Amino acid sequence: MNNGLKSGLVLLVLGIICGTLLALVNSFTAPVIADIEEEARYEALEEFYTTADYDLSAVEVNEDTTDTIFVLRNKSTSDIEALVYLVNAWGYSGDKPVSMLIAINQDLSVQGYKVVSHGESTGFGADIVENDFNISDISDLSGFDSVAGSTLTSDAILGCFGVVQNRASADFGGGLDD
Amino acid sequence: MTNKENLLKGLVKENPLFVSVLGMCPSLAVTTSLENAIGMGIGVFFVLVLSNLIISLIMSNPKLAELVKPVRIPVYIVVIATLVTIVEMLMHAFLIDLYKSLGVFIPLIVVNCIILGRAEAFASENKPVDSVLDGIGMALGFTLAIALISIFREFLGKGTITIWGDAVLNLNFFFNFLKIQPIAMFIQPVGAFLSFGLILASITAIGNKRKANLAKGAKANG
Repeated sequence: MNNGLKSGLVLLVLGIICGTLLALVNSFTAPVIADIEEEARYEALEEFYTTADYDLSAVEVNEDTTDTIFVLRNKSTSDIEALVYLVNAWGYSGDKPVSMLIAINQDLSVQGYKVVSHGESTGFGADIVENDFNISDISDLSGFDSVAGSTLTSDAILGCFGVVQNRASADFGGGLDD
Repeated sequence: MTNKENLLKGLVKENPLFVSVLGMCPSLAVTTSLENAIGMGIGVFFVLVLSNLIISLIMSNPKLAELVKPVRIPVYIVVIATLVTIVEMLMHAFLIDLYKSLGVFIPLIVVNCIILGRAEAFASENKPVDSVLDGIGMALGFTLAIALISIFREFLGKGTITIWGDAVLNLNFFFNFLKIQPIAMFIQPVGAFLSFGLILASITAIGNKRKANLAKGAKANG
């Protein structure tokens, strides 16, 4: 057999061994990483509401733009009092979307938001996603215009709020029960 | 070269950072706190020692070495990248704060010149035991060097030294005594270059003085 081919086969075998090793390590680190991310989300919810005061459940949506909806129900009446959306939208980074938790009250006012993860560049991009956008002044999500969307990064923030804006009324109106 | 020499040469005589001036990018970027430096040191230690061992094992088999030689750089990269990815996954799972703090510089260990340099210059031509000792010495030398830079930068820039997690030495009394604020510039990128330059100049000055004294002593002895 040609020597070049033999060298290529050696490289291939090494690649297979390394890939198997990585799969093995991933099999025990992936669940731990998923737990950490889940825990971080629930910790973030505490920044918006005292979750012990509500019946908290999570609806997995698994769409491109909406990942999970956390539903906070009144403990005695079971009415939905607040929804916290985990939504994604693409900004400047092509590798990782801006992922946000957006908390909405029953009257469609914004309780708060938190950027859970993003791949925007450090400095200018990160400054944009970490801005508070005067969230406390937003009384009605349907008229949301706090972000101009004049850069790709701010466009992602606008996109995240847009996703929530499009579905919040329906979700509060019983859409989640369907 | 004896085992002891193999182990110790990386600490001072052939220190990868202060003598060979390799692996500068991560060294300057992560040295904003001692904790980051220790974390990066642990990552580099794991990768350097294991990559040296694996590459030495591959290259010490004459038949395998003959086949690997034409594709040795891709082989080194595959081995190093695998080890770095393992470090990244383990840090993400078990040292989340350090993982967030080191950020992109964990995957960048793959292109750290020290690791590829030792693989090509030492591990590929020496026995596995010697290569492991070389890896340990070089990794310790690298860790000591970035720890020194980070202590210098964090002390001058923040007035603290973050050893690990909540274990923080507060040395602000020094700045209070002088009635000045810590010099925040040292935590910025410009401070990294300045600190590295100052430490390197001091080490070179000490080395030169030592050489001059030795020469003087030799001349006096005849």
